[in-house]
Order: sequence, then structure tokens, then C-alpha cells
Amino acid sequence: MSAIVYLDHAATTPVDPRVAAAMAACLTADGAFGNPASTAHAYGGAAHSLVAKARSQVARTVGAEPAEVIFTSGATEADNLAILGAAEYYRSTGRHIVTARTEHKAVLDPCRELERRGFSVTYLTPDRRGVVEVAQVEAALRPDTVLVSLMHVNNEIGVIQDVAGVAGACARHGRARLHVDAAQSVGKCALDFAGSGIDYLAVSAHKAYGPKGVGALIVSQQRAAQLQPQSFGGGQERGLRSGTVPTHQVVGMGLAFEIAAGDLQGEGQRLAALSDRLWRGLEALGGALRNGAAERCVPQILNVSFEGVEGESLLAAVSESIAVSTGSACASATGEPSYVLRGLGRDERLAESSLRFSLGRPTGAADIDAAIGAVGRALGRLRRLSGCRV
Amino acid sequence: MRPQRYNALTSQYFAAAAGAGVLEGARVGRGAAGSRLQGTWVQFDLEVHNERISAARFLAFGCPHTIAVCSRVTELALGREIHASLPDGIDSLRAQFDVPVEKLGRLLTVEDAWGAAVAAARRRAEA
Repeated sequence: MSAIVYLDHAATTPVDPRVAAAMAACLTADGAFGNPASTAHAYGGAAHSLVAKARSQVARTVGAEPAEVIFTSGATEADNLAILGAAEYYRSTGRHIVTARTEHKAVLDPCRELERRGFSVTYLTPDRRGVVEVAQVEAALRPDTVLVSLMHVNNEIGVIQDVAGVAGACARHGRARLHVDAAQSVGKCALDFAGSGIDYLAVSAHKAYGPKGVGALIVSQQRAAQLQPQSFGGGQERGLRSGTVPTHQVVGMGLAFEIAAGDLQGEGQRLAALSDRLWRGLEALGGALRNGAAERCVPQILNVSFEGVEGESLLAAVSESIAVSTGSACASATGEPSYVLRGLGRDERLAESSLRFSLGRPTGAADIDAAIGAVGRALGRLRRLSGCRV
Repeated sequence: MRPQRYNALTSQYFAAAAGAGVLEGARVGRGAAGSRLQGTWVQFDLEVHNERISAARFLAFGCPHTIAVCSRVTELALGREIHASLPDGIDSLRAQFDVPVEKLGRLLTVEDAWGAAVAAARRRAEA
């Protein structure tokens, strides 16, 4: 598989070897395998110390206090806990939620569940750049709005939303709490939870060279954000997420976040140059349309629709050379093209014939050139096969 | 490494896509079906001598199954008597290429394009 260039880092990243080593040291009898809640003995105490260190590392990376970090099984659980937990906690003050059509399913599906429970949800449509304007959120707020949920960095197109502006709108409203899905943000953007006005922030480890199966919800104590727990049995994580804290997972997450935060600017500049090189190369192939406003996107994610080719064939044609994601879901259970790209106004065909290139730490210029070559060959062949001129 | 949703035959014919192109000439009948906007468009060119297919080409905008089946059809057609139904038949092609049931409509587009090309070739022969 090493011959295939991996450009799907927004889906997941390989675990950093330093992280893997730190995790391994928490698993076996000669390591910190104890239950971190069993602080009465040394085994539990050692694990407890490592969990505390990891909590501090995660908090420092996102600009929060350690006590605000609630470890979960990932960003999906964190999103569910925030949305369902906040909506149920504040149910007596209102039953209206505001979110966007381009949110991750981990946000949209809990919102649909809340609709089944009697809440009403306003789904905002971003503009053609993929941006949800603060004014749109402000206009959607109602006296009974209890929660706004908006992602920081969109997972398909990489657009950064103005969550600080939205936090301002929520503050002016007075009652609306703000949840932000920041699963794609760590290692891509600087985060300042304390100064952001955000109430709940969901983060994931495996998007930042940490392990799968662990994430966190940051719950603001400064803003006295409250939640109704969604799971019970043990009272761990301030009673908000019961269950034994997996020491190896959170240790991996903490170290991965610390490493990611360490060279945010340098890595960002390096990947911006590579992303620009990739876009210029793809644009030169003809019939390439960039999805999302370039000036608002993180450099790690480049989403492009290609004219004159069918999406499933495009993905099949490039898959021997590069690992990317597609806007086409022809073979998925839904059979629907990307709802995010459709939400941006792309027609069904262009939404299907899109590729998401997501760059990461191992990506180099040779990988970018290989990707441009692979896409160029696929486009040329498929366009010839269909008699299409672009 | 291709995605696992295609069998070996589909991968082979999609990659090679032999038979792609167009034919010109007085004995060539051309037929097309489907639309790019709908996601599948297919065109066949058939050259016919004495009621037998002497050359066949295709153009296709569609998924790998569609392209692979079109390529196989042009290969199977050579030397056969001209007939409105697809060489080997649609059920056999579906089985050979392990085409999922939700894609049956795409095979029907291939069959419609084939039928249109056969009709056009017959009209050419009668003219």
C-alpha cells in the first residue's frame, strides 16, 4: 500500500510513533495499566497521574482549563453529549436549535433526534463559498433558542467558520449556548477556548495523529455551561461521561495534541505551499472547480469538482495511485451525492465528481505531483471514453 | 489496489476499456441512450457486413460497471449476427460483472443504446 499516496488525512491520520509508544506503556503489566479511578493504590495512582497529564495537554492545546475536559470515545460522542445534553438540560427555557446543513452527521443526526423529541431545528444554508455568516445565525435566533451548533473547520471543504462571531451573536441573544464541532481543527488552527465565548467544543484524537476511539468535549466552566448526562454508571468525568477512562487512549490523545500544537505555524505554512501547488496543478488540467472559499479554508483540505467525468469512475481510476475521498456516494447505502457540496449549490453531477484531497504531516511535494499526475491521467482517459471535451 | 466493490472482470475491463472510440463510414449505425445529467450516457457504433457485426466501438459516461460492460459488449459483438438484444444478454452480463441490483438501470441504458445502434445499422443497410 505504500505506493499509494495517502491524501485522506481529514478522514484519519496514522498514529505518531511517539504517541504509539506512550500508549503501549499503559497497557501491559510493566506499565501504567491500573484503573485511573483506583487511586487507593500505586497502580491506579500511576494511571491517574497520566490521565491528569493528558487532560492538561488537551486543555493547553485548545486554550481551556484541565477541569473543563471531558474525555469521550471520540468527536461523535462529544457532539452527541453536547447537543442532546444541552438541549435536555435547558429544555425548560426553550426548544429551538440552530445549525447548518453542512454540519457533520454527528451533529445533524442528534438534531434530528431532538426534532423527534419535540424540538424545532433551523438548518442554515451556507453561501456558495461554504460560509455561514454571523448575520444568518443572528437572524435565525428566536426567544426560545437554547443551542447553536456550528462546526469550526468543515470536514469536506475545509472552510473555517467565524465561530467567534457566532459566539458574539449568542452572547447578545443571552440564552443561546454555542456548541462547536472542532474535530478537524486541532493541528490545523490555533484554538482559544477560554477567549472564544464557546460553551461546548468537541475534539477528536485520530485527526491529529492520535488514536481512534478517543476524543473530548470541552465544557466551559467560566460560562457555567451545563449538560444533562447521556450515559450512567460510575460517575467518571464529572458525572457527564460514565465509564472507566482508558488511560492509553487519553495518554495518546494528550501527547498527539501537544505535538500538533508544537509546530502549528510552520506546518501550516508548509502545507499551504503544497496545497497551492496541488490546486495550480489540478486547475491546469481543465474543468476543475474549487469547492469552498480558498481564503477561508485550512491548507490541509482541498476539495475540487471535475467537469466531464462520472464520480465513481473518477475515484476508481485514481484509487490505484492515490487515496482520497469523494463527493460521490454511489456505492454507499444512501446513494446520495455529498450533501455538503449540494448545500453549496453544486449540481448532483459535480457534487459526485468531486475529490477531497487532505494533506498531512507525511505529505511532500512528490506526493502532490503524483496526485496531479494520477488525476490528470484519469481525467484524460475518462473524458476520452465519454467523448467529452472540457 | 482498487476499491473492493468491483470484481476482477469489472476491474480488468474498466482499466483496459478496449473498444472505446467511434467508427465512421456508410455501413456504420450509431445509437445512444441515457444522459450525462442523469449520470449514465452510452453510445455504440456498429459496422455491419452481410448481417454480421464487423466492428464495434463505444463511448460511455458512467460508472466502472457501465464502462466495463460496454467494453465487453463490443468485444463479444465481433462476428456475431446483428441482433437487438445485447450479446450474451443483460442477465448474463449482470452476473459476469457482478453488477449490483441498484445499478440495473445503467445496464438497461447500455441495452437501449445497443438497440438504437442496431436499428440505425439496419436502416443504413436498407438504404
